Amino acid sequence: MTSQFAGELCTLLVDDNFGELFARIFSTLVRYDRLSLARLKFYSRLSNAQLRHGLAAMIQQHLVFHYTSYDDGVTYYEPNMQSAYYLIRSGKILEFIEERLGKYAATVMSTIMFLGHAQVAYLETIPELKNSDPDVNGPNEDNEEYQEFGEQNGPKEHEADERYQEPKDELNGLNGDQSSIGNLALLHPTLKALAGHGYISRVRDAQFQSYADNVLDSERTLKARPDIKALKGKKLEEAVVEGTLNLLKERLDGDLTRGLVFNGIPRGAKRRHTSASEAPNKKERLDYAAVDEDDVEEENEWSDDEFGEDTVPMESGITVRINYEKLDVALRNRRFLELAERDSSSVTAEVYECLLRRIEYQTMKCRDTTEIPREGEEGEQYSVPISLRAVVEEIDPLLDLAGSIGPMEVSQPISRRGKRPLDDSMNGVGHEGTNGEQSEGNRTYEVDQHLCLLAQPPYNLTSKRIVSGLITWTVEFRHLARKLRHLELERIIEARYGDVALRVVRVLHEKGKLDEKRLQEISLLPFKDLRQVLASMQAGGFVDLQEVPRDAQRQPSRTIFLWFYDPDRVCNSILEDTYKAMSRCLQRLRFERSRLKEFLEKTERSDVKGNEERYLSEAELALLEQWRAKEALLLGEVARLDDMVAVMRDY
Amino acid sequence: MASAGASVTQLASKLYEHCLNNFPLDQLFYQQDLLGLGIVPKSDIALLLKCTQSLVDQKLFRLLQGKNERLAWKIISREDAEKLQNLSPDESLVYNVIHSTGRSGIWVRAIGNRTGLHKSILDRCLKSLEGKNYIKSVHNVKFPSRKMYMLAGLAPSEDVTGGAWFTDGVLDENFINTVAGYIEYTVSRKSWFEVPSADAQRNKRIKTSDGSAAVKQEPGQKSYIPFPAGFRGYPTVAMLTGAVNESGITPVRLGEESIVQLLDMLCYDNKLVALNNGEMYRSVKNPEAVKQSQSRKSAGEDTGIDDRLVTNGMTEAPCGHCPVFKLCAPGGAVSPENCEYFDPWLEKALGF
Repeated sequence: MTSQFAGELCTLLVDDNFGELFARIFSTLVRYDRLSLARLKFYSRLSNAQLRHGLAAMIQQHLVFHYTSYDDGVTYYEPNMQSAYYLIRSGKILEFIEERLGKYAATVMSTIMFLGHAQVAYLETIPELKNSDPDVNGPNEDNEEYQEFGEQNGPKEHEADERYQEPKDELNGLNGDQSSIGNLALLHPTLKALAGHGYISRVRDAQFQSYADNVLDSERTLKARPDIKALKGKKLEEAVVEGTLNLLKERLDGDLTRGLVFNGIPRGAKRRHTSASEAPNKKERLDYAAVDEDDVEEENEWSDDEFGEDTVPMESGITVRINYEKLDVALRNRRFLELAERDSSSVTAEVYECLLRRIEYQTMKCRDTTEIPREGEEGEQYSVPISLRAVVEEIDPLLDLAGSIGPMEVSQPISRRGKRPLDDSMNGVGHEGTNGEQSEGNRTYEVDQHLCLLAQPPYNLTSKRIVSGLITWTVEFRHLARKLRHLELERIIEARYGDVALRVVRVLHEKGKLDEKRLQEISLLPFKDLRQVLASMQAGGFVDLQEVPRDAQRQPSRTIFLWFYDPDRVCNSILEDTYKAMSRCLQRLRFERSRLKEFLEKTERSDVKGNEERYLSEAELALLEQWRAKEALLLGEVARLDDMVAVMRDY
Repeated sequence: MASAGASVTQLASKLYEHCLNNFPLDQLFYQQDLLGLGIVPKSDIALLLKCTQSLVDQKLFRLLQGKNERLAWKIISREDAEKLQNLSPDESLVYNVIHSTGRSGIWVRAIGNRTGLHKSILDRCLKSLEGKNYIKSVHNVKFPSRKMYMLAGLAPSEDVTGGAWFTDGVLDENFINTVAGYIEYTVSRKSWFEVPSADAQRNKRIKTSDGSAAVKQEPGQKSYIPFPAGFRGYPTVAMLTGAVNESGITPVRLGEESIVQLLDMLCYDNKLVALNNGEMYRSVKNPEAVKQSQSRKSAGEDTGIDDRLVTNGMTEAPCGHCPVFKLCAPGGAVSPENCEYFDPWLEKALGF
């Protein structure tokens, strides 16, 4: 992502978030790329002290890669555009974490984000994470959650309580603040939940170097090995390529999920349907046991593990950072879900959400290659298969599955189907048990039906696989990511050129290159409209014209003109445009701020801040209100543009 | 000689009568076929050729070249023959060339090439033939600038007219839209299950009870749910063709190919979805939504926002519509600071 506008945007982001010094260093690095300290000093015209302080802090924030060469002992610095760009996604990520794991987890996350990376031991000492102000951290619901967790464990509850006690005592010794105790006890389970979901990862030394440096470094190490030295020619090449990949994986791997995921569900995953009474859960377990003996043993182990693992707090020596790759997976799943919601009922979407959630737990990153492969060359990439039963377990047992799918035959009477839901709502939760009994097999079938519905064209959101006789469901990521990409492009085309253009583009995309006549026959549009729309789209860079001369003279009359639509090309240019639009919004925001500079300075005065009502006049309050709305709108717009960037670049 | 001539004429007319009575008009006769009829005595080939030549001269037979360059003939009905007999040699040459191309018509320049006539003579012939109402000029969609002719009695083929969707060589937009709208509605009625009203009530209650978004149902509004996967009741091309032809919205009978063409178009518009490689079609929207969007369109309201794809960042931001976006740079003639689109946009979005 090195381009003029990406660089401009990242510099702006660094400036907004960290101030001028960082921005100065960053922009110099963006402009000149790899620099030694001396050159950096020369270009940025900063003093030694400023540079050293700045660089150290920027390395902490992962904004700068550094690499000390073995040959000349000089350290080179490089900008880390990717991580600078992710500054913009922080809000989205925090919102997502809050929704998934609660407010406190979001606070922990934002603290880690703010620090760049942090040692667990350090996180323990941070007052915000101990602060029990309910407005900020909202620990109440989390507490409940964890208590429930304890209850589910049944007899082990006491031990679990003891576990909570342990850190409390320590802390009491430290500051004796009663209110902070409950919260710090939360920190470790929360960190574990975050780690189990893969949202945070361990910091590795190699992560401070750019990918290219890491590759070269690994190659060098590998080639120095005696067994590799013995190889020659093609074999050597192959061995080096493979070895490099392995070594890289090993060095960059910060995976913390190991030992924190059980049966495909990470520790502390929030059960969404906590309202479900204990009875049906037990029932499920029993059925489970009847069907498959092996699984029961696993279950038992799981509960043991659960207890054993949880009593151990996160190792305090570990340094953690945000795992953006994993978060992209989660955010991408959210987009898939939105796609499903557009055309399906809410029930079907909910089923889909459950499937996606199970898949997310086991998906580390959006794709294996660093770049999005060219259209038509990307192949297929299926997610891990999730067994139908796992999806059924995940689904809220109170969800009415039958009511949102029609019968197989139109003539079939509806009453038979309609009956069961009626019972549900009439008898309430009390009779759940009996109801669950009769519909256990039914439910599995119904979930399968919903997933089948999703598997249908046009989106093919799911696909069915039979793995060793069991029905499993997967999601084809590349196909769906492509769909999302096309959808974004189509939206732009529709907004700029109307629905006629949309039809033309879809025809061209499916059929390839077409001359005007054939295009007209398929799209059934009058020549006049067609030509107009093609010409304006060509001017906008969305479609292109290829000339195929029939003879050497290349006369226009003897030439075939073929229209085509290349989504890759369009996507790349739109991506650049999006970066540009984002930086324009941020620049405009800065300009708006400068217009109101004096007023805003007043509102930010320490005596005024928080007491706006008292110190500001009515007009000023209105102005402040306006300003806040404006700021929110512009930042919101940037976030919306970021959604597009994510689709076009990251998914 | 005279008697021989007379016998040839007699024989020829006998041959003609026999062919006319026993064979269809477009039957192709080879020498063998004519000899096999047993009219020409002793299978005398020379005599047969004389007979056929006289028939050709009388324009009762048309000389053709069959397979393997063999000679062949076709009979011409008496009325047509009369027409032809009245033509000048040049005219009949032109007429034959036009006749040979049948329903696809022929370009004027191609007639010139094939007949070898001078352009002025050709023009005169064409004019007189057209005046006698033997031929007509047709409009070809593929080559709108070419002047083409075909026999007056023939209907132009689909290649020439461009299919059912063209009227006088121009795409008939209104007609297409009418039929497309009808098809979309028909398909949507068959691709959604209409929940009986009592049941719908129940659904509502259940959905709200578990807290998920309840479908807002005003009384009297029908609710629709999708059919399960693998449902076989979606309409097929044959069913839709039948429905369109019976509906009375088309003046001409539409063939299945034309309907397929239209269905494809609707698929490209994301209104329909083809299942099993176009065996069946399913609509994206339910009948109620289809009806609404159609009535909105016909009312001419341009705020068809629900109809559109959801907007994204680029279509909302002023930069997405900016005509000088490419020129925009901080500190430049067009810059984010002096941008004239931001303020109206902010005002519109925030309402102040």
